[in-house]
Amino acid sequence: MALFVQSLVLGVLLGGLYALLAAGLTLYFGVMRVVMIAHSAFLILASYLAWYFHRETGLDPLLSLPITIPLFFAAGFAMQRLLLSRLRPATRTMMSVLLTFSIALIIEGLLGYIFTGTQRRIQLGYSGASLELFGARVAVVKLIAFALAAAALLALYLVMMKSKLGQALRATIQHPEAARLVGIQTDRIAGYGFGLGLATASVGGTALALDSTIYPSLHWHWIGPLMAIIVVGGLGSVPGTAIAAMVLGMLMSLLQIPLGTTWAQTVFYLALFATLAVRPQGFFGGRLAKRF
Amino acid sequence: MRNDSEPKRWLGPIVRLAAIAIGAGLILAFPASVDNPYMLTVGIGILNYAVLATAWNFVGGFTGYISLGHGALSGLGAYATGLLITVAGLPSFVALFIATALVAVLAIPIGAAALRVRGASFVIVSIALVLILLLVFQSWASLTGGSRGFVVPRPFPELRRAEHHMVFFYLFAGLLAAALLVWWVIDRSRFGLGLKAIREDEDKSEALGIPTFAGKLVAFVVSAAFTGLAGGLYALWFGDLDPVFQFSVLTGSTMVLMALLGGVRHLFGPLLGAVVVGSGLEYFKLEYGDTPLHLVGTGLLLFGVVMFVPEGVIPALSGLFNRLFAPRETSIREVTAAALAESRRREGEADR
Repeated sequence: MALFVQSLVLGVLLGGLYALLAAGLTLYFGVMRVVMIAHSAFLILASYLAWYFHRETGLDPLLSLPITIPLFFAAGFAMQRLLLSRLRPATRTMMSVLLTFSIALIIEGLLGYIFTGTQRRIQLGYSGASLELFGARVAVVKLIAFALAAAALLALYLVMMKSKLGQALRATIQHPEAARLVGIQTDRIAGYGFGLGLATASVGGTALALDSTIYPSLHWHWIGPLMAIIVVGGLGSVPGTAIAAMVLGMLMSLLQIPLGTTWAQTVFYLALFATLAVRPQGFFGGRLAKRF
Repeated sequence: MRNDSEPKRWLGPIVRLAAIAIGAGLILAFPASVDNPYMLTVGIGILNYAVLATAWNFVGGFTGYISLGHGALSGLGAYATGLLITVAGLPSFVALFIATALVAVLAIPIGAAALRVRGASFVIVSIALVLILLLVFQSWASLTGGSRGFVVPRPFPELRRAEHHMVFFYLFAGLLAAALLVWWVIDRSRFGLGLKAIREDEDKSEALGIPTFAGKLVAFVVSAAFTGLAGGLYALWFGDLDPVFQFSVLTGSTMVLMALLGGVRHLFGPLLGAVVVGSGLEYFKLEYGDTPLHLVGTGLLLFGVVMFVPEGVIPALSGLFNRLFAPRETSIREVTAAALAESRRREGEADR
């Protein structure tokens, strides 16, 4: 029973990070119908930046966030404006996959070249500490990572629902032509959407760096589950992806007890194929997902 | 209307046939003209890439569905061949063909699941296929040897190393010829026309009564069979398999890069891409060793192709050639949906 609770709690904590990252992917898809393969490569890049920041300054890696968030926002904006918006509209969906794939390869290669393939880990004063939570022992760093992800997700929610930018973003996602008619500069807004999406990767990466060992090719382990989550949740639906992230994260955590770590990961892909067989538009997807 | 160039029309096919004969002659003469076995292995590697890229092009070129997961199919072909030899004790080439049939049969449910969705979701599924097989083959160490590797017995144990390479060079060349021939036949058939209609506009072609799902599935299975065959032949030649290399998204993306670089609408596009990218990768390995920089190189090349020559080098060059030397185009010709949308948009802007 204790093991069950332990796994459940760990699953929720993991699901939070998945939900944040999947929300970023959903945002890109919403504003431009683009599947951003490089998302997890930027995630690992942010982890490396946090680790590098900690190694060079000795400060807490969380303090790197004020630098990385604006940096990633600008990078996302530039990427959309300079690269993705220049692709031909008719083949954009396919070509954007390849374009972001090439960016992921470049990031992985450069990380490997600059920092070598050695596995890196941040050692902090509180790295070993753990807390008692509902009868489960949870490492403090995992809680901090979850809190970070939850705070970022909440901030994203508030931006999307309460701000003028969020309103424009939602309008662009729902109906770009109508949004243009009421005076929204959808091109610019799509750029901001990309910036926000990439900002989630910077927060997620810092959270990941706190409690995981990182290496350049780690992004392949993230992109598969994240892709599965956005398909299961329904491409384009933020609440759907958040629910799918939580459910799948917990399922994987629970399945680790009888199956072990490696086999438990297959749950994402099984869910992906089951979704495609039963409900190709995803379980929470609406209008958007049907055509893609 | 009569065209001025009509009397010279017979020239085109002859030039083309001569070019193909010269190309084939160059490939066949390659092993005799190089004296060190290293160059021969490079040649085999490039031929292997060419077969894989051409096999990929059955799906990517005809239907426009871009699969990043074809590495999984070649890996399956390789492991199936190896396992049929070691576990079932079959002769090497019997195992190769049974493995190919297995991959083709397995491609039916995989294709049926993946082709239900379009565009972005299809790419996601194809990537997931590679990642899931990597997990399975790494974890199932009792059967596949896991990351310790898996040794496939040589098919011709009596041959010396150089002769072994020589035989496989011609085997790969034969497989390439077969793949190109099948692609050419489909390209000229009614079936191929239906597939190309799917590529340009799937909804419209479905409305016109083209059996889109069946067409896509057949194309996928043919593609999978050739990919599996190439993977199995690679296993027989190389003799050592590791899941990390066999089930790598990188393999699939290299196939895409090669086909795209040459031009997916052209019979020889993937072959040209394989020669360019294959020799480029080999040069990189020689120059910079086994650093992660080859990832950067591949990434930059893919980036450049997608941004600047998405139609491939062959159409770009032939377009340039036509502009310079034969400015007049016939009124009936193939135009891609993307190019059509582009020109309509330009006209619309001009009208405004």
